Amino acid sequence: MIRFAARRFASTVLVLFAISVVTFLIFFTTPGVDPAARIAGRNADPATLAQVRHEFGLDRPLPVRYLLMMDHLLIKQDLTSYVNRGAAVIPQIEHAAPVTLSLVIGAAVIWMLLATVIGTASAATRGTLADPVMMAVGVVGVSVPTYWLGEVVNLLTQDKWHSGAFSWVPPLGYVPLTANPVQWALHLLFPWLTLAVLYAGIYARVLRGEILEALNEDYVRTARAKGLSERRVLIAHALRCSLIPIVSLFGLDFGALVGGAALLNEVVFGLPGLGLLTYNSLQNLDLPVIIASVLYAAFFIVLANAVVDIVYAAIDPRVRRA
Amino acid sequence: MAPSATAPARGPWRTALADLVRDWTAVASFTVFVLVVAVCLLAPVYAHYIAHTDPFQSNISGTTVVNGKTVPLLAPTTTGLGLGVTPIGPTWDVHHYFLGADNQGRDVMARLLYGGRNSLMIGVGSALICCIVAALLGVISGYFGGVVDTVLNWFFDVIWAFPVYLLAISLSVVLLTNGLRLGPLTVGAGSLWLPVLIIAAVYVPYVARPVRGQVLALRGREFIHASIGIGGSDARILRRDVLPNVAPMVLVFLPLMAAINMLTEAALSFLSVGVQPPNASWGTIINDGLGLLYTRPVVAIAPGLMIVITAVMLNLLGDSVRSALDPKARLRGAA
Amino acid sequence: MKHPRIAAALVSVALLSATAACGSGGGASSAPSAPGTSQSSSSGSSAPAAAGYNPAHAGGTLHLVANAAAGTLDPQINYTLQYRQLYQASFDGLLAFHKTAGDASFTVVPDLAAAMPTVTDGGKTYTFQLRPGIKFSNGQPLTTKDVVASFERIFKVSSPTAGTFYDGIVGATACLKTPATCDLSKGIVADPATGAIVIHLTASDPEFPYKLSVPHASILPASTPGKDQGSAPIPGTGAYYFASYDPNRALTMKRNPFFKVWSADAEPQGYPDEIIQTFGLTVEDEVTAVENGQADWVYDPLPADRLGEIGTKYESRAHVNTLTAMFYAPMNVNIPPFNNLKARQAVNWAIDRSAMVKIYGGSNLASPVCTFLPPGFPGHVDSCDYTAGGGATWSAPDLAKAKQLVTESGTAGQTVGVVVQSDDVNKQLGEYLQSVLTQIGYKAVLKPISPNIQFTYIQNTNNKVQISISSWYQDYPAASDFLHVLLSCASIHPGTDASINIAGFCDKGIDGQMTAALTTEQSSMTQANTMWGQIDHAVMAQAPVAPLFTPKLIDFTSTKVSNYEFSKQFYMLVDQLWVK
Repeated sequence: MIRFAARRFASTVLVLFAISVVTFLIFFTTPGVDPAARIAGRNADPATLAQVRHEFGLDRPLPVRYLLMMDHLLIKQDLTSYVNRGAAVIPQIEHAAPVTLSLVIGAAVIWMLLATVIGTASAATRGTLADPVMMAVGVVGVSVPTYWLGEVVNLLTQDKWHSGAFSWVPPLGYVPLTANPVQWALHLLFPWLTLAVLYAGIYARVLRGEILEALNEDYVRTARAKGLSERRVLIAHALRCSLIPIVSLFGLDFGALVGGAALLNEVVFGLPGLGLLTYNSLQNLDLPVIIASVLYAAFFIVLANAVVDIVYAAIDPRVRRA
Repeated sequence: MAPSATAPARGPWRTALADLVRDWTAVASFTVFVLVVAVCLLAPVYAHYIAHTDPFQSNISGTTVVNGKTVPLLAPTTTGLGLGVTPIGPTWDVHHYFLGADNQGRDVMARLLYGGRNSLMIGVGSALICCIVAALLGVISGYFGGVVDTVLNWFFDVIWAFPVYLLAISLSVVLLTNGLRLGPLTVGAGSLWLPVLIIAAVYVPYVARPVRGQVLALRGREFIHASIGIGGSDARILRRDVLPNVAPMVLVFLPLMAAINMLTEAALSFLSVGVQPPNASWGTIINDGLGLLYTRPVVAIAPGLMIVITAVMLNLLGDSVRSALDPKARLRGAA
Repeated sequence: MKHPRIAAALVSVALLSATAACGSGGGASSAPSAPGTSQSSSSGSSAPAAAGYNPAHAGGTLHLVANAAAGTLDPQINYTLQYRQLYQASFDGLLAFHKTAGDASFTVVPDLAAAMPTVTDGGKTYTFQLRPGIKFSNGQPLTTKDVVASFERIFKVSSPTAGTFYDGIVGATACLKTPATCDLSKGIVADPATGAIVIHLTASDPEFPYKLSVPHASILPASTPGKDQGSAPIPGTGAYYFASYDPNRALTMKRNPFFKVWSADAEPQGYPDEIIQTFGLTVEDEVTAVENGQADWVYDPLPADRLGEIGTKYESRAHVNTLTAMFYAPMNVNIPPFNNLKARQAVNWAIDRSAMVKIYGGSNLASPVCTFLPPGFPGHVDSCDYTAGGGATWSAPDLAKAKQLVTESGTAGQTVGVVVQSDDVNKQLGEYLQSVLTQIGYKAVLKPISPNIQFTYIQNTNNKVQISISSWYQDYPAASDFLHVLLSCASIHPGTDASINIAGFCDKGIDGQMTAALTTEQSSMTQANTMWGQIDHAVMAQAPVAPLFTPKLIDFTSTKVSNYEFSKQFYMLVDQLWVK
């Protein structure tokens, strides 16, 4: 077990290293984007450009620049942005993380609840009309482009129906939980719902499939034979066992979302989270912020992957050999 | 008298096909999907013969006929401070700007169909490439094991750990300005191959890992041992034993990946790093429509609806294919 | 939006070039001579400067919104209009532009200096008297030491204009070489006892007062570290100070507790108690926020689809102001296909400028142009070489002629990349241009690039940009600002991001004419302007660019806000808005 965990950990580090190199190469070797001139400002004369180039280490060979950047990022932790000069990158990420966490955790609670209810109900009512209807709703949820849905939601709640039914909807943006919990929740309400729509559909379908499969298993037949009610069989036995693969799926999705996959939602709702930070840095080719946010996001995905793998290995010894 | 006792076995593929044909959801979703594809492929016919417009040429000072009157496509505001121009809204007349005009005075309906062509091509094309490449890599990795497996697995981990959108956006940002040059192969900056290849590449691990898992499970089974025992070559085993057992899984992935890739392409185009003008796709039309969301919402809503419909059909199809190919599903009686 | 940074860049290069000619003679103390220019004033929305401060309206919080932050908060480095609109209320230089509405906003008035300087020694020595009793926002008193240190800091932090604006100060050359040890004690001689400051220049520079009035010459405490302070606020002497700055969320300004008005012209008292600028919303959402009263003003250019409702439903809150500026499409005259004169002329014939005007927002927000100098500008003469049916002003395109020229030029079928900014309006302009180029026979491809990058991208010759769309905003009325800065051989710096002659146009004959006009400016402005008009005509015959239209600026404010004042230097005067 320990060896397995150690191997996973080593693999994680290797993967993160590879990602940092790939990101660095993608952006630092792109022609046409000389960072020095952009940092120095408009109409900077050649002397100023040379100064800036030297200060940022842009005149050194590629591997040295990579090491310098990693040094500033991980060891000295004083990496500064190329666009917002002087703004340290790590604090930016630290400020943005709670916003993304708020968005993701809230949405996760909602979608898990929704998925559990819909998936279980759908499995319970299989054969009747309710089942395919619920599944259809789920499929539609999966197929809707989330940013498009967000824009339509904004159109209705902020503009078209703002003076009427939705006058209680606060302006777009983020209010910290510590500042005002009620406003925090109100500002995040529609972002939560929009993000949850997508995942609720997926999880409901998976859960339904798992429950149906579980209902054919021997232990369920035993439970029925013992005379337990169908409802008890469903909830106390089938559902419990079906949640395991859901949990692993959830771990992976949650990791990816926290890392910044909720990018489109943040852009649409104006939430200053990691996704928006990354998106802006990509638009501006703010290389230090790009590397830092990509590494941060990758770290969470890889961490989630590793945790899920280790938990599975702890439960199922066969996996450890694979 | 039991018919199954005397009738010859039809084999897993014919059984699956029969199941599929009997499943009305599958038939309905497949039909709608084919309908959408057909209509989009007929985009040039619509544009030329029915609507009489060129959906790729700006027509800002142009006019059209609505209810017998000639109106400008982009009407300036005449009240108040007289600021801004508004494109005409839906006329519900197939010959004259059925869904209205966009900011450049182009026919939205015609662009919707052309955009559909590109979105479908990119979605389906990248799904095909992704599934084929992923299947190959997954099989190789799972079957041969050892160093090959370790390297490929690590490779999948790296790509997959890179947040999907970030990787796609990064590659797009870089490649779109300069195009791609891989030795003798040159892909121009405006080519549609770029989004296809980028999206396919990004999702390879998503398909390859389950395939690899399946191959690993297969490798431990008796029939493979038997083949090795009788002296079958690797190629023979792969061809006759492994691939047929992996194929169903890949087939299930195909429509699902098509839906996912279509959505990803739309997201990338929405962020302006997917399909580039003058090409159109449903994602770029949504992007255009955002600039008209408050005055002419139909320009943003129509492509969004098309994406939803197509993705729903593909998902339902994928579900049905999975049910048809999965023997256990018959036990569950899943819809 | 690109224009504000261009405006600032414009100042640097324009002043640099004007230095050579606008020459000798006495104290250049007030407005540049701009005789006979009918600067049409804004359409009735900028009231004349409020006569005196009205304390009844002081108070409240002003909430501004912008799509993104504008970089470092350091006034000696930042080069954007977005923050310069805020610096004018928080930092001061020895001199300043008059903070008022209308044409007077181009006048230079004394700020931290007690009076306009005495200029002696053939224009090489400027003597100032520092005002006593002024304090920074951290309570520190302003002394001559701070003044000297601030000028030295310009070099220490490698300010973008260190080498272009302030290289004339004695000792600056050494500072440019080794900024870390910059010592200007010989060039700026300060006497702490009397408060006298004497600046020695190596050569006469009539534009020096302007250079002292821009934020790069703000006077900061001597203790400010000699490197870019980034998002850490620096204390200033203005009516407000920066309380906090998070480039991903918001920027907050509060009243400077140590501020007392010493000159209402240079640094007036502000009205709001607090000014907040938040970032992160899309422009569409920003407009909705102002409509709902959730914000007070949008910094970014307004999206075209909201203009209709803004101009009708919210008419009373929309302020339209004339600018002397131009949108144009520079064509690279050194690489195919536009190294061919007929190809360039074809583009000029083909573009439907009224279509571009529609894209920008209609004829009440823009007008087509056909000459390099916009109408109403000194030196402008109505003439149009590229309109169907001829005439002195543009009326319609001539596609047939354009196609014919393309065929004759032999460049038909070539691939052309159109590089534009990726924001809504510019992208639409680009799509239209791409469509026109395709119509006349090219294979045109659109390349939208982030607004943060596009301006420098199209200047760098290494990127081989064939045609792009750019804008140019004047800083003060002088024809040389447009013609000399954008089209002279001296403005070409191959392989750098600072080659403002984007077309790469270098015609020795026209260059000679420009030098002659610059020299004539010293003796007779009228005659010089006639020469500039002729140069304009000569340039358009060569068609290195396609002038498109001249835009107006529109500001959209909330119902909470009144006392809107528009300065030609700072545009909307942010701290003069009444929130109560």
